[in-house]
Amino acid sequence: MDRIPYIAVLLAYGLVGLAHLHPGIGERLGERVRTVAWTGVVLHGLALLLRMVTTTIGPGFPEAISAGALGIMGAYALAGKGRLSALGLLLAPLATVLLGTALVVPHRQVAALEHSDAVIPWLPVHLGLVFFGIASFALSFAVAVLYLLVRRELKNKRFDRLGRLPSLEVLDSLQFRATLFGFGALTLGIGVGGGIAAVALDEPWAWDPKVGFSLLLWAWYGASLQLRLVGGWRGKWAALFAIVGFAGALFSLLGLNFVSTGWHGYGG
Amino acid sequence: MGADALLAVGLSYRTAPVNVRERLAVDDLGVHRTLANLVSSGVSREALLISTCNRVELYTVPGRGGESAVAEFFSTFRGPEGEPLDRYLYWHRGREAVQHLFRVSSALDSMVLGEPQILGQVKEAVRQAQEANTLGRVLHRLTQRSLAVGKRVRTETALGQHRVGIGNAGVDLATQIFGDLRGRRAMLIGVGEMGRQVANALQTAGLHELVVCNRTWDRARELAEIQGGTAIEWGRLGEYLGRVDIAIAATGATEPVLRAADVRSALRARNYRPLLLVDLSVPRNIASDVDGIEDAYLFNVDHLRDVQSRGKALREEAAQDAHALVDDETDRFMTSLAELDVSERIGGLVRHFEAVRAAEIERSGRLVAELDDEQREALDAMSRALVKKVLHQPLQALRQAAREGDAERVEAILHALGEEDA
Repeated sequence: MDRIPYIAVLLAYGLVGLAHLHPGIGERLGERVRTVAWTGVVLHGLALLLRMVTTTIGPGFPEAISAGALGIMGAYALAGKGRLSALGLLLAPLATVLLGTALVVPHRQVAALEHSDAVIPWLPVHLGLVFFGIASFALSFAVAVLYLLVRRELKNKRFDRLGRLPSLEVLDSLQFRATLFGFGALTLGIGVGGGIAAVALDEPWAWDPKVGFSLLLWAWYGASLQLRLVGGWRGKWAALFAIVGFAGALFSLLGLNFVSTGWHGYGG
Repeated sequence: MGADALLAVGLSYRTAPVNVRERLAVDDLGVHRTLANLVSSGVSREALLISTCNRVELYTVPGRGGESAVAEFFSTFRGPEGEPLDRYLYWHRGREAVQHLFRVSSALDSMVLGEPQILGQVKEAVRQAQEANTLGRVLHRLTQRSLAVGKRVRTETALGQHRVGIGNAGVDLATQIFGDLRGRRAMLIGVGEMGRQVANALQTAGLHELVVCNRTWDRARELAEIQGGTAIEWGRLGEYLGRVDIAIAATGATEPVLRAADVRSALRARNYRPLLLVDLSVPRNIASDVDGIEDAYLFNVDHLRDVQSRGKALREEAAQDAHALVDDETDRFMTSLAELDVSERIGGLVRHFEAVRAAEIERSGRLVAELDDEQREALDAMSRALVKKVLHQPLQALRQAAREGDAERVEAILHALGEEDA
């Protein structure tokens, strides 16, 4: 990856994260911070697009997590208006760390695909969908953390932050929508992945740890949506589901790629 | 005439009790008449009168009689015991007067810090003075600026953002749970005063529907009519709890009227969307173990007081920012008015020197008469250029001194240039 634009983007994301440490970040400063975030997102998107267009060897692990960071910051830039700007406190550092990781890991193509040129154009679609999903789950995670924070303040009758953080109902409904959107994207992403595997490996359900874990994640989020719609598992329970789910998604994104020996792996 | 001549005289809730304030308070017609009188009698060159229930203040540029004429005007008023008003009146001059009006417009001098009405009242006073045609070059600029300052404080500081009152503490809690209150329903249980305050505030904040429930049906109906809500029978309390988002209890009951089981079944009925319960009764009307139920948020009267006092503390904090903004605006206003003043006096000087030049050419009439048109024009241009060149340096210094707010140097230079003769 050509690093200079990415370093600028990294600085922008880091700056957004730092700005949110300021406890009384007002409306005016908040808007400026969001402008910085948008600038970073646009630059990041262009750099990634350029990389996708000019590549000959297909996207690999760095592009994957870089796209994840882009999705997370994009979610913040879209949703972090007004009181919801508090989301930046979680999302900006997360995106910064992911992008930082992308910059230091070496580029390797998914080993199993080295001789399957036919599927390379489909890889960005697969990646894009999966990372739209992960970005949505990141948003639902950050919103869930805020929900639990606001809930705890109200239950403990602490009023220091009253009126500064988003309302419970706004957070709960945003958390639901983000999960729903992420679930849809993940479903499609897994479908496209199956197609790629069918062509490249001659079997659509080629098993490896990542496939297994993704299906587990899919079932987890599906269950959380079902329980919410049918069983009224909203609020705290939905928030806990989202937090555990995103921890799993992060593990799948970062952890599995280092330890994995499956054909999703870059380690071998 | 700069802002130094400005005078603010008045009394407010800070200095005078209501039975004194009402002696001076005037209605719209009175304001117009008083302003017109002040100017036509020569007491004031310019005048603005702010008369609200908390203050009566005259902002004026005095006429030839100066401050004593204004004092004389106030001496015609007497307190409730026939005493003169001297001891209630405050006098602000020049910069202090400017600062005072800015503070008043920003609700920094209001009884309820940051209250939203005062800016409208100042605007109304300005309109009346415009109608009476008593705003001149100083007060016109001052009033326009003070309205702008009031608006700046409102938008740029948090002064107006923190509501006061126990009712609004309830609104703060409700908005933290529900966000927007439009489309939300509340139930008022009992007819206690504080419960009604919270219900009122919720309604002002956009509540969709209010249901009133009371043990005696007649009182429920009566209150529902006053509050603009629907009365329901006492027996349907539990059923309605599942239909509302907010329940406010303020009855005289000595036993809880809502128990954990009632709240649990209500939450089931609303598919576990959060329920806000506000208990304003002592002894409490909602069993305290209700707060342990997920999705039920119970607050009692002490909690509301905590919210209220936090709002007050935040307002005071915001007031610090507002004071700084007002002080800065005051400085800027004083400087800009001084600059304006100097530039007008420079205009006078330039006209004076032009007159001197024209007179000098006139004096050498015989000589000039012998010149042809072209030569006369050249002489004219030369003499003008001469005056301009000579004046250039001192005027530059004058403007510089005005910018720096050095009034003494301004006066010295103007004096040296012979302003008195101008």
